Amino acid sequence: MTFERAFALSSVLLAAVACSGLLFAQSLPLWLALPTALILILSVLQAGGMSVVRRRMARIIISPALSNSLSLGAFVIFLVDLIFFSRDLLPAGIHFLVLLLNIKLLTLQQRRDYRHLYALSLMAILASAAVTTDAWYVPIFLLYLFAAVWTLLLYHMTQETGSAAGAGMPAQPAIGPAAGPSRITAPFLWLTNGVVAMTVGMTLAIFFVIPRVGVGALQKTSGEALRTSGFSERVDLGTIGSVKQDPQIVMRVELPDRSAVSNDHLYLRGLAYDQYNGRSWSHSRTRQRSLGLVAEGIFLARPPSSRPPGSQSLTIRQDILLETLDTAVLFAAPFAELVSGEFLAVQADAMSGLHLPAPPSSRLRYSVTSQVPQLIAEERTATALDYPEAVRLRYLQVPAGLQRIDELAHRVVQGAATPFERTRAVQQHLLDNYRYSLEAEQATLNHPLEEFLFTRKTGYCEHYATAMVVMLRTLGIPARLVTGFLATEWNEYGGYFTVRQRDAHAWVEVYFPRSGWITMDPTPAVNAASAASRWESLGRFGASLRLQWDRLFVSYSAKDQLAVVHGMREGSDFVREQASRWVASLSGPSAKALSRLSAMARRFQPGMAGLVTGLFVVGLAIFLLMVRDRIGLWATLHLPIAPSQGAILQLYARMLRTLEQQGLRKPPSVTAREFAGFVEREWQAAGPLVACITDLYQQGRFSRRPLSQDELSLAAEQVGQLQSLRRM
Amino acid sequence: MSSTQTIRAIQDNIALVIKGKSHVIEMAVVCLLARGHLLLEDVPGVGKTTLGHSLARSLDCSFKRIQFTSDLLPSDIVGVSMFNRQKQGFEFIPGPIFANIVLADEINRTTPKTQSSLLEAMSEAQISVDNQTHPLEQPFMVIATQNPAEYHGTFPLPESQLDRFLMRLRIGYPTIEEERKVLDRPHSLHPAESLRAVLSAQDVVALQATVDQVHMEEHVTDYLLAIVQATRQSELLSLGVSTRGALALSKSAKALAVVRGRDYCLPDDIKELAPIVLSHRVMLNRTHGMRTQSFDQAERLVLDIVETVPVPV
Repeated sequence: MTFERAFALSSVLLAAVACSGLLFAQSLPLWLALPTALILILSVLQAGGMSVVRRRMARIIISPALSNSLSLGAFVIFLVDLIFFSRDLLPAGIHFLVLLLNIKLLTLQQRRDYRHLYALSLMAILASAAVTTDAWYVPIFLLYLFAAVWTLLLYHMTQETGSAAGAGMPAQPAIGPAAGPSRITAPFLWLTNGVVAMTVGMTLAIFFVIPRVGVGALQKTSGEALRTSGFSERVDLGTIGSVKQDPQIVMRVELPDRSAVSNDHLYLRGLAYDQYNGRSWSHSRTRQRSLGLVAEGIFLARPPSSRPPGSQSLTIRQDILLETLDTAVLFAAPFAELVSGEFLAVQADAMSGLHLPAPPSSRLRYSVTSQVPQLIAEERTATALDYPEAVRLRYLQVPAGLQRIDELAHRVVQGAATPFERTRAVQQHLLDNYRYSLEAEQATLNHPLEEFLFTRKTGYCEHYATAMVVMLRTLGIPARLVTGFLATEWNEYGGYFTVRQRDAHAWVEVYFPRSGWITMDPTPAVNAASAASRWESLGRFGASLRLQWDRLFVSYSAKDQLAVVHGMREGSDFVREQASRWVASLSGPSAKALSRLSAMARRFQPGMAGLVTGLFVVGLAIFLLMVRDRIGLWATLHLPIAPSQGAILQLYARMLRTLEQQGLRKPPSVTAREFAGFVEREWQAAGPLVACITDLYQQGRFSRRPLSQDELSLAAEQVGQLQSLRRM
Repeated sequence: MSSTQTIRAIQDNIALVIKGKSHVIEMAVVCLLARGHLLLEDVPGVGKTTLGHSLARSLDCSFKRIQFTSDLLPSDIVGVSMFNRQKQGFEFIPGPIFANIVLADEINRTTPKTQSSLLEAMSEAQISVDNQTHPLEQPFMVIATQNPAEYHGTFPLPESQLDRFLMRLRIGYPTIEEERKVLDRPHSLHPAESLRAVLSAQDVVALQATVDQVHMEEHVTDYLLAIVQATRQSELLSLGVSTRGALALSKSAKALAVVRGRDYCLPDDIKELAPIVLSHRVMLNRTHGMRTQSFDQAERLVLDIVETVPVPV
C-alpha cells in the first residue's frame, strides 16, 4: 500500500475510532449517531480505495465556503443545544464536536484539514473518556493509540516526500525525490507496530506513575444512581418483586479466602425490620450510632465482646465493589465486625444494619469482615429458651386479627419439641406447600399475608419471609425480616460473586439467646436454569475482565498509588540493605559512603522526593532536547526506508525548513550551491553551516559513495546548530 | 601529480597570459577534457586567439594555426593528394588540421564551403581525401574564434557546424586593473610564446578517460533532460537543443566535475554550463521580435528557460 493511501485510510480510521468511542458511550442522540455512522463508513470505504464510493464522494466534496458556513451552523446548533436541550457543557460540546468531525470528514483535502481532524479526534477520545468508565473503553483506546501512531508516522512520511516533491516539479515526476520506497514495507510495518506497543507501555507507565488528581473536571456527574427497593424506612409487601427481573449489576463481592464459604450462595444483609402492621414492615424507631475507628479507615461495627459468650461463628472477609445506589445502606454478610473503606463515617442501627451518612455519589469499594453466627448444639436441642425481655418486647410483635395464621402455625408445629424444631417445621411447611411466583397482583390486597397463606399459595421471598416471621412470632419465637441480596452468581474467572438487582431478597433471622440471630430462608430456591453453556462462561469471563479494568484503572486512586510506591520503597530498602551488607563485606570506606547515602535516603521527605522527581523530569527533558537531533539522526539512519542517501536528504530538507522559518526560502529552480551562496549573503551567521551541510548533501546525494556515519552526524550536528540560531 | 593538480597547473599556466578570465580558462579546459571543440566569439582584440594559443602552448603537443580568410580553400585545411614522381603515385600531403590543437582563427571570415571542410574532422576526428581516410591524432581539439555575426564580411556558421562545437564562449573586456597588468607586460614577445608546456598529449588522453568515469546520478540526468525538453517546448525558440546538444551538456558537465575535483556531477554543473553549451545550438523564434541571432539574446533566453526548470533536491 502506498503511503498516501495508507495515510488517508489511517486518518479516517482514527476519526472513526474516536467517534465510535462516543457512540459506545451512548452520548450521541440518534439524529446525530446515524449520519455520523454513515459518513464514517463512507469515508473509510473511500479511503480504503472503493472506487465507486470514491467517485460518489468526489461529487459531494463540500466547497470551503460551504464548509465554513456549515461550521458556523454547527456552532449555532451548539449554542441552541447548550441553552435549550442538553443544558450541560459536556453533552452539548460532544454534539458540537461530532458535527465538526463530520464536516471535516467531508472536506478532507489539504493537510491542514487532516491536522484539524486529528485535533477533533483527540478531543472526541478525551470526551468519551470523560463520559464513561466502562471496560469497552480499553479496546477503543488501544485502537485509537494504534491508529494515532500510524497516522502521525504516515503524516510525517508523506510530508517529507510531499515537501521534497513540492521542491521538485510536480508535472515532471521524473525529477522527483528519491526518498526511499514510498510504500509500506514489512520493516516499516513492524517498526510502526513496535512504536505502538511502546506507546501503550509508556501510557501505562505514565498512568501508574503520574500522581492522581481527585476528580476530573469533566467527570460524569453522579446523577444516575441505581434505584433499589427494600432498603427504606418502610417496606411494603411486594416491593422487591418489582425488581426481580432486573439484571443490572448492583455489586461485586470478592472473597479473599473463599474456602471458608460454600460457593453457591452468600447472603448480603442490608436492613432488618421488626415491626409488621399487616401490610408493611418498618423499623421501630431506634437511634443510629456512629462506629468507632480502630485504625485509619477501619470501623469497628461490633466489638467481638458483644458476641454472646460461647457462640460459634464463621469468619468471612469480603471485598465489595458497590455500584452507585440510591440508598445509604452498606451490604455485608451477617454480621459485620470490621468495615474498612474510604468513608468519613459509618453508622449502625440497633439491628446491625450499616449506613453511610448519605448515599454515595460514586462507586464504592469497601471490605468487611463478618462473623456469621452458627447455632450451637445446646440450643438446637433445648426444649425451652429464655429470651431477654427487650428481645421479647420487640420481636414478638404481631398485628391484631391473625387468628387463622395462629392456628396454622400451631398446626404446623405439632410434634415439634424444641424451638429450633418448630422453626424448621415452619420453614419446611412454607418450602413444601407454596409455589414461588413473581406474578404480582398483591398491590390491591388488604391482607397480603392471608392471601398468600390461604388463597393464592404463590408468592415470592417477601411473602415467604413475612409468613415465617409472623408464624414464628405467634409461636413465641423472636424473629425479624431482613432484606438484602442473595448472591448466587459465582464468577470463577474473577473469583467473585456478581450481584444483580434481581438478586434482591428477603429472609428471616431467628433469635437464639446464646447463638444470636440465625439466618433462615423459607423461600424455595428458584430453579435458575444454570445451563453452563459456553456463552455464559464467556460472558462471565468478560465480566471478570470488566471488574479487573475497574479495579486497576477506573478506581486507581492516589491511595493505591501510594501503596505501590510504598511497596516499591520497601523493596528497594531491602535491596539497599542487602547491597550495603554486601559492599560492607568488601570495603570499609565505600560502605561508609553508602550508609551515608542510605541515611540521606531515609531522611528523604515526600516534599523532597517531589522536588527531586521534578528536577529529574526537567533534567530528562533538557537532555532529550539536547540529543533531539541525535535521536532524529538515529531514527533517520535506522528507518528501514531511508538509506544514508535518504538520511542526508531528510537532513537537507530539515535545513531548508529551518531556513524557511527564518524567511529564507529556496526557489525550486535554484541549485543547492546557489542557495548556499544566497544564505551566505543574507544571513552570515548561518552561511558556513549551510555551506557545510550543502557540501555534504551534494556529496551524499549525487555521488556514488554513500556518506559515512561521521559525515552524517556532522551534518546532523550542523543542522542542529542551525536550528538553534536566530536570524536578527 | 594528481589529476586535480594537473588541471590546476594548466589553468594557472594560461592565467599567466590571460589576466582575470579564470572562468573562461576553466571552461576552455573543460572543453579540452570533454573532447570537445571550442568556439570563442567576441569582438576583435579581447584575447580570443591568445587564449587558444596559450591553451595549445600549455600542452606538450602539436599545434597549428589556420587564419581563415575569404579565399581559403578546403584543401588548405585538410591537405592535398599530390603526384609523387619517385613513387609513381599520389601522395597525401596533410594539411594544418593534422595537429593536436588547431586554432581556427576568424572562422566566419571564410566561405561556407571551407567551413564545412572542418565538419568531418571535428565530429569524426578523421579526414577523407580521395576515398582515403586519415585518422587524426589524439587529443584533437579545434579552437575556433569568430567575430559576432553582426559584423561585416562574415559568413555565419551553418547550424550543423555550430552544433559540433561543444561550447561557445565569450571573453569580454577585462577590468581596468586586469587591463593594466596586460599593459605592464613586456611587449617584445607574444605572451603565449613564453609559456612552457605542463602536460603531455598522453596526460590529456588519460584525463579525458577519467571524465568517462564521472558518475551522473539519475536525477541529475533527469534535470539535464528536463532542461533540454524545456528548450524544445519554449515558445521563444524555433529550434530547441538536439540530442547531440544533450550529449554535449552531459559530457561537459562530467568534465567540469573533474575540473572541480569531483567524481560526480551536480545539478549546479548542468545549470552553470547550460548557457554556454546550449545557446549556440538553439534558434530564436523570429516572430518574437528577434530578427538577429545575437549571442546575448540566445544566452539570456537559455538562462531564462533553465530558471523555469526545478532543481532536484
